[in-house]
Amino acid sequence: MATVQVSEAEKVYILHGVRDDLRVDGRGCEDYRHMEIETDMVSNTDGSAKVTLGHTDVLVGVKAEMGKPRPMVPDEGYLEFFVDCSANATPEFEGRGGDELGMELSNTLYKVFNNRYSVDLKSLCISPGEHCWVLYVDVLLLQCDGNLFDAISVAIKAALFNTKIPKVHISEDEEGGKEIELSDDPYDCMRLNVENVPCIVTLCKVGHRHVVDATLQEKACSVASLIISVTHKGTVTCVRKVGGGSLDPESIFEMTETGKRVGKALHAPLMALLQEEESLGKKRQKVGFLG
Amino acid sequence: MLKSKTFVKKTRSGGIMKIVREHYLRDDIWCGSEVCTECKQEETVLQKDACIESNLCSFPHYLLPDTNIVLSQIDILEDPLIKNVIILQTVLQEVRHRSAPIYKRLKDILHDKEKHFYTFTNEHHRETYIEREQGESANDRNDRAIRISTKWYSDHLNNTPTDKRLKVVLLTNDRGNKEKAEESGLLTYRCEEYVKSLIANPELVDRLALTNDDKNEITSSKVLFPEHLPLSRIQSGIKSGTFQQGTFRASRDNYLEATVFVHGEGDDSTEVLIQGLQNLNRAVHQDLVAVEILPLNQWVAPSSVVLQDEGPKEDDVTEEEEAELKSGPSGAASRKPTGRVVGIIKRNWRPFCGMLFLSQIKEATRHLFTPADRRIPRIRIETRQAATLAGQRIMVAIDGWPKHSRYPNGHFVRSLGSAGDKETETEVLLLEHDVPHQDFSQAVLSFLPKMPWNITEEDMAVREDLRNLTVCSVDPPGCTDIDDALHCRDLPNGNQEVGVHIADVSHFIRPGNAMDLEAANRGTTVYLTGRRIDMVPELLSSNLCSLRSSVERLAFSCIWEINDKAEIVKTRFTKSVINSKASLTYAEAQMRIDDANMNDDTTKSLRGLNRLAKILKKRRIEKGALTLSSPEVRFHIDSETHDPIDLQTKELKETNSMVEEFMLLANISVAQKIYDEFSECALLRKHPAPPPSNYDILNKAAKSKDMVIHTDSAKALADSLDAAQVDGFPYFNTLLRILATRCMMQAVYFCSGMDSDFHHYGLASPIYTHFTSPIRRYSDIIVHRLLAVAIGADSTYPDLMDKHKQSALCNNLNYRHKMAQYAQRASVAYHTQLFFKSRGILNEEGFILFVRKNAIIVLIPKFGLEGTVFFENKDKPSPKLIFNEEAPSLTVEGHSFNMFDKVKVTISLDASNVQHQKIRMSLVEPVISGVSVAPSEPEPEVKRAKLDR
Repeated sequence: MATVQVSEAEKVYILHGVRDDLRVDGRGCEDYRHMEIETDMVSNTDGSAKVTLGHTDVLVGVKAEMGKPRPMVPDEGYLEFFVDCSANATPEFEGRGGDELGMELSNTLYKVFNNRYSVDLKSLCISPGEHCWVLYVDVLLLQCDGNLFDAISVAIKAALFNTKIPKVHISEDEEGGKEIELSDDPYDCMRLNVENVPCIVTLCKVGHRHVVDATLQEKACSVASLIISVTHKGTVTCVRKVGGGSLDPESIFEMTETGKRVGKALHAPLMALLQEEESLGKKRQKVGFLG
Repeated sequence: MLKSKTFVKKTRSGGIMKIVREHYLRDDIWCGSEVCTECKQEETVLQKDACIESNLCSFPHYLLPDTNIVLSQIDILEDPLIKNVIILQTVLQEVRHRSAPIYKRLKDILHDKEKHFYTFTNEHHRETYIEREQGESANDRNDRAIRISTKWYSDHLNNTPTDKRLKVVLLTNDRGNKEKAEESGLLTYRCEEYVKSLIANPELVDRLALTNDDKNEITSSKVLFPEHLPLSRIQSGIKSGTFQQGTFRASRDNYLEATVFVHGEGDDSTEVLIQGLQNLNRAVHQDLVAVEILPLNQWVAPSSVVLQDEGPKEDDVTEEEEAELKSGPSGAASRKPTGRVVGIIKRNWRPFCGMLFLSQIKEATRHLFTPADRRIPRIRIETRQAATLAGQRIMVAIDGWPKHSRYPNGHFVRSLGSAGDKETETEVLLLEHDVPHQDFSQAVLSFLPKMPWNITEEDMAVREDLRNLTVCSVDPPGCTDIDDALHCRDLPNGNQEVGVHIADVSHFIRPGNAMDLEAANRGTTVYLTGRRIDMVPELLSSNLCSLRSSVERLAFSCIWEINDKAEIVKTRFTKSVINSKASLTYAEAQMRIDDANMNDDTTKSLRGLNRLAKILKKRRIEKGALTLSSPEVRFHIDSETHDPIDLQTKELKETNSMVEEFMLLANISVAQKIYDEFSECALLRKHPAPPPSNYDILNKAAKSKDMVIHTDSAKALADSLDAAQVDGFPYFNTLLRILATRCMMQAVYFCSGMDSDFHHYGLASPIYTHFTSPIRRYSDIIVHRLLAVAIGADSTYPDLMDKHKQSALCNNLNYRHKMAQYAQRASVAYHTQLFFKSRGILNEEGFILFVRKNAIIVLIPKFGLEGTVFFENKDKPSPKLIFNEEAPSLTVEGHSFNMFDKVKVTISLDASNVQHQKIRMSLVEPVISGVSVAPSEPEPEVKRAKLDR
């Protein structure tokens, strides 16, 4: 994980600030940094989004491909995650340097998103037991400035919202032979319901308090953090503790409560924003990567 | 400006892929009009005085057809009258997608400078590009694109000075499109409306294809045919095995019967019999159809009745005939898989040649057209010039075959000329044999070298200078495409150097250009009596490539060092420059050799060649090469009328075989060389050994004269043919050889990487190819290229080394050669008819070549003519016939006919069917009462008058 070196004096400064609910960049403990979202960035994916959070920059692309449903759940599609920690983000990722982080991130993403409570997997089924849509979610880290989980989760939610899966029709002949037919209208496509897709809120224990959306410096002062995925209703769907230090049950409870609150507050503006962007349609000015 | 085009596609493996293509829009696409002052175009295509006499548009205008107009009314667009047409890229792409042949025709029109057709790349024009909108079908989008472009053109042309102002007329038959266009203020007409408004040229109306709207008029309540299944159902049916896919082949003799050739896995393919109008279900010869096999108890045997669709029976199912059809032999053994056509996968309609069968009702505009090919059904066409067209050979295209119509609907394409006219008949012959014979297009001609052409320094640098050699060519008289020349000289070591110099056509025809593609498509030059259809433009065939005397020409030489026993000591190949000293005919060369007084270099060289050739031939025959025979005839053509005035059978001189011998040698040497160099992609020619059963007829024939023909090897066959002589019957041997020729297989081109059997049976050579006639055969051009690469004289290109592509090329070449042969035969047959027409009725002696169940086939050596004498006649009671299949012999009223029997026949021209004139033979001697006819007295005057009618 990308890290920075922080001196003792700096640590004390940050710790004291957090204690007084005033962080180095002027935020309160439960505030996010400035966040930018743009969808439909990559034309050859079925859905994509780029999220900038502070200097953290992630790009998510969703590709829908036809596959076979898992034998245990023949009437559901599934999601696949791959996180590419490109060396663009930080020189540490060069070579195989980013593999471990990538693996860790994608394992978490499986836990958070690949279940029927987050995404309506049944809608991805084309014909039970035979064909289903597999959504390949590719995450590309463009720049790391802390709080990767939150940025990625927001980007995934936006990309899934943006995903357009071509409509297919199964025709059956007398013998029961099935033929998949594709609509020739490119506008004829299926959208996913992303209402229940959770967002991840990472809480960093700094001193006796915890902060949301920690920068790299704050992270360096923290011994442990809690990753909480929260739905728009405030339900916690997944909790994971990372970092070497320990957390006492009481602070875990406190942190979960904060996570729920922050998470719930995150969903509403996100959805509103996505809907607004969508309504602009083709008239929208694209910002792209250079904007 | 960059846009991206996105679409979703199904991949072959069943996956679904999203494809994004970049699409650039430009602002420098010009309108192509002469009047336009805004566009900075260098050349304009569309004229400023685009006038055509029309009572709908009296002003100058450009036409802008939509896709369906192009697809259905291409014949109208091809008419020289229609000029100044804008073809949108959208239209062009759609046409390309929907019909390859029409696309090609459209491209040809676009290339024709006289037609003033302009392609406007509207899809890349900044102002005319549109994106597909939500809920819009692809067709609607294209229609909108066409309207937008029309609008753009109208606005654009409005900017020109008023006096020169032009309008754009959108032609569309689509009602919705027309309404929308009119709403936006565009000038729109239906094609029929517009064509009918061209008052000055009423004949164009006939070329209009019947479209759906028109068909409604003919609709009768009765539905004659079952509906065709939609393509999707057919495809799933074929997948599941309920239907079979195959090529529909109509029967030549019975219009109610056809077979569908179903290609199975690998080599196994089956034939499905289809009987009855309902089951044939509107399929036309050569269509790709889907058939359903009927249950076993409905299987039938092919009928042996000859049925021709006689009259214009309007829409009544010919039940009687069907009944007659079913009464064929019903033995279970002869039953064949029988099926019915459920749908058409791909129509294979081409314009058909034929004649008009006038409707009995006067002033009727609907007439039936009878194609020359009996396998094609009659076609109903609409024309106002029926009176003029009667008696002419015309071409008609099929537009469709509605299910309530007995005959398909079509439209008149063009007239080929009056029937019986030599030009017309030749045209028909070429069209029916699919011989490409149009003039070479501009694109092809553009690749010709610029005249005056000279051999350049660079050419000389890479070529061996053989100009000093005494090279000469020996060809038939009147030959202008000389592709081979020879030389022979003594070497200091006592051996002889022999060179075969072949025109270096591959120097002029570079791979992949338009000329090359055209030549590859034509495959061969077609020699008809009195006409030659070149494979390459005349400048090359008769001038630059032709190795004429006293001019410097590029050649590809094969040079051997040969010792006294005619054994090859050394072989080499080189590109060269030669200067032929003499172009001789076979007769001239023979005279020189025989004339002891002549001792010039050329003659000496010829004598040397002749001597070696004799040894080579002897050795070849010892190895088992066959000398076969076919009755070849040649016409003396009157130089004024071009009518045949006499015919003679081809005569072979020693010099013929001299040239042939060295050509064979060169071909074999080259075949070996290219095969050694490119074992996977050498283009070779093979002649498979015939299966023993082919020789049955030959054996039986020999047995009738108490002789045995050994057919186990080519050598044995050659020897026993030589030994087969009958005293007092000198023609017997020739007859036997003619029979042997009929037993042979067809020699074919193939790619060495795709086959393992290379043997050439007839020439008794283990390997063979064609190298010596690149002017008239495309195979030789490929061989030249391979050889050039092999000796490092030229570079290779990917297609040359691709065995699959080469194999496909071989298939085309084999097809073209076969068709060319048929066309040649048909041409000879036609001229034979002309000859007999002018001669009146003749009595000639002939020999029985084959004996059939109800007829004998007679060969008349004098004319090389073969004809059938039928013993059964429709109006006469048939005589008592006993056919013995073993002998074979046919006993007619007590007289038995055996093979090779001498008979006397009278020959006359049967002109009762104008489309299929034929030579009729009747028996004169031996006299059999009720069968033979009295020898007709030569009364040419009267008969002629009768025949010339």
